[in-house]
Amino acid sequence: MSESTSKNRLSVADRLGMVNFRNQARTEAKPHIEVDTSICNSTCVHKCTTKVCPAKCYTLDEEGLVHFQYEDCIECGTCMYACDQGAVTWNYPHPEDGKGVNWTLG
Amino acid sequence: MDEKFDAIIVGGGIAGLSAAMTLAKGNARFLLIERGEFCGAKNVSGGVLWGSDLAKLVPEYWLETGGIERFVNHRRLTFMDEQSAFSVDFKSEHFNEPPYSGVTVLRAVFDEWLAGKVQAAIDESEHPDESFLATDILVEEVLQENGKVVGIRAGEERFYADCVILAEGVNNLLTRQIGLEKEYVPVDHMGIGVKEVLKLDSKRLEDRFQLRGRSGLTNEFVGFCSEGVEGGGFLYTNSDSISLGLVLGLKDLKAKEKTPYDILNTFKEHPAVADMISGAETVEYSAHAVSTGNIKALPSELYADGVLIAGEAAHLLLNAGKAIQGMDYAMRSGILAAETVIEAKKANDYTSGMLKNYRSALENSYVLKDMRSFQDAVHLLHQPNMFGAVPNMICDFGRQFFTISGEETPKASKMMHAAIKRNASYWDLVKLGLKGARAL
Repeated sequence: MSESTSKNRLSVADRLGMVNFRNQARTEAKPHIEVDTSICNSTCVHKCTTKVCPAKCYTLDEEGLVHFQYEDCIECGTCMYACDQGAVTWNYPHPEDGKGVNWTLG
Repeated sequence: MDEKFDAIIVGGGIAGLSAAMTLAKGNARFLLIERGEFCGAKNVSGGVLWGSDLAKLVPEYWLETGGIERFVNHRRLTFMDEQSAFSVDFKSEHFNEPPYSGVTVLRAVFDEWLAGKVQAAIDESEHPDESFLATDILVEEVLQENGKVVGIRAGEERFYADCVILAEGVNNLLTRQIGLEKEYVPVDHMGIGVKEVLKLDSKRLEDRFQLRGRSGLTNEFVGFCSEGVEGGGFLYTNSDSISLGLVLGLKDLKAKEKTPYDILNTFKEHPAVADMISGAETVEYSAHAVSTGNIKALPSELYADGVLIAGEAAHLLLNAGKAIQGMDYAMRSGILAAETVIEAKKANDYTSGMLKNYRSALENSYVLKDMRSFQDAVHLLHQPNMFGAVPNMICDFGRQFFTISGEETPKASKMMHAAIKRNASYWDLVKLGLKGARAL
C-alpha cells in the first residue's frame, strides 16, 4: 500500500461519524432489533453477524462472546438475512421512540 | 379517521412514489405513508436509475435543476487484479440527449424531489384535499378481515382502503406478515451493498472524468475489488460527488468470513480507483441489503385480496452483468400496481381475481420478461471464476499485450495461452464460455 492510497482507508467509526441519526440525544430510545445473544453464544458456530454487519453493531469480546448494540444500526437489514439461528428479531425503529438513520444523500 | 381511501401505499421510495403519481394522475384518493422524516430519508441505492419511465411520471424532467444528478452517456466495465485494470469502455453522444436512458441519483435527494412532484400532481387532481403524503409514521400492521386486506395500523391509528400497495423495500416485514413472503428469508439470493459518497467540486469532477455539462460516467468493477467474494464494485458520478461502493453476495461473504467495510477499503486502495477518487472527501457511508436478481427470490405471489406488492419488497431486481436494475423495476412495478388499482376501482372489484392483472402486467412488461430471460446470466455471474481467475487472466493478457520491452513480441494468441495457463484452465473457460453464450 502506498502512502497516497493508505489515506483512503476509513474505520467503521470514521464512517459512522458521518451518519446522521434521529433522536440522538434520547437516552430512553427503544431498540428496534432484539438479539438473543444466548443463542449466538451457545449453539451458533459461525457468529456471522460479527462479520457481515456493516456498522459493527455485533462485536466479539476477548472471550469470544457476541454482544449487540442497536445505536449504530443503519437499518440495512443484513443481519436479518444473515442470521440463520433465529437469534435476530428485526423491526424498523419507531419515529418517536426509536433511534434511526436519517440519510442526507442516500 | 373514518374515511376510506381507494388505496394506501406503504413506503415513500421509488415504487411507492411512482404508484402515488399514477394514482394522483388517475384522480384516485390515496394515502402514502413513509416512516422516514421525509421521503428518501431511509433510502439507499447505488445508484443509477435506468430506463425511460421517469419521463412518463415527470415529463421533461431534464429541464429541471433538481432531482437527478447526471445523465449517463459513458459506460465502463473494468476487470481488475491487484495492480491492473482492463476496461471495456463505451461513450456515446446518442446517450447524451433526451430521453436519457440512465440517470445517476442520490436517493435522499431524488425521492424527496419526486415526492414534491407527486404533491403537485395531487394538488392538480380532482381531489386535492383527499390524498395525502404522510411522513414520520411507521406502519406496524396490515389489517385483514376475512382473509382480505382492508387497511393498516400505525400505533393506535387505523386507516382503511379498498387496496393496500406494499412498497416497503427489501426488508419486507409486512409482506411477511400477510404470508406472501416466508417469515425467514435465507441469504442465498441476497447481497449487501456498501457505499461511500465522496465530495469533489463539479469543476474538478468534470475535468477528471471528462464530463460535459450534466453528462455522467458509470463504471462497474469485477475482480480484486471484492477480494474474491462474489460481487463487484461501482463508481458513479453525481453533480459534485462520486458514489463508490460494492455489492457483495451475502452467502459468499459469510462463507469467506470477510467484512464489507474492509473490502471497501481494499477497493478504494486499488491504484486505478485511488487515482479516480484522489482529493475527494468521504461525506456519507451507507449500506443496504439487496436482492441479487434470482427469480426464485420473488415472494410466493405479488398480490392477494386487497393487496399488491411492488418494488424491492417483491425482490424485483436484475443484475445480468450490464447494469444493476432495481430502481427502474421499482418504478415500473409501482406504476403497474397503481394502474391495476385504477382498473379495480372502475370495476369496484378488489379481489385477487381482479388484482392478478398486476401480475399479468408485470409478466408482460420488460421487468419479469428480462428477469426470466436473463436468469442464466445471473447464474453465470455467480460462478466463482468470475471474481478471480477471469479478471486475473484478462489483466495478465493486458499486461503482456501492452508491454513494449525491447524483446521480440509474441503473437496475441500466445499471450492469451500464457494468461490462461497462469490463471485458469481451458476446461473451466470452455464451460464458462458455453454458459456465457447461452446467457447473453
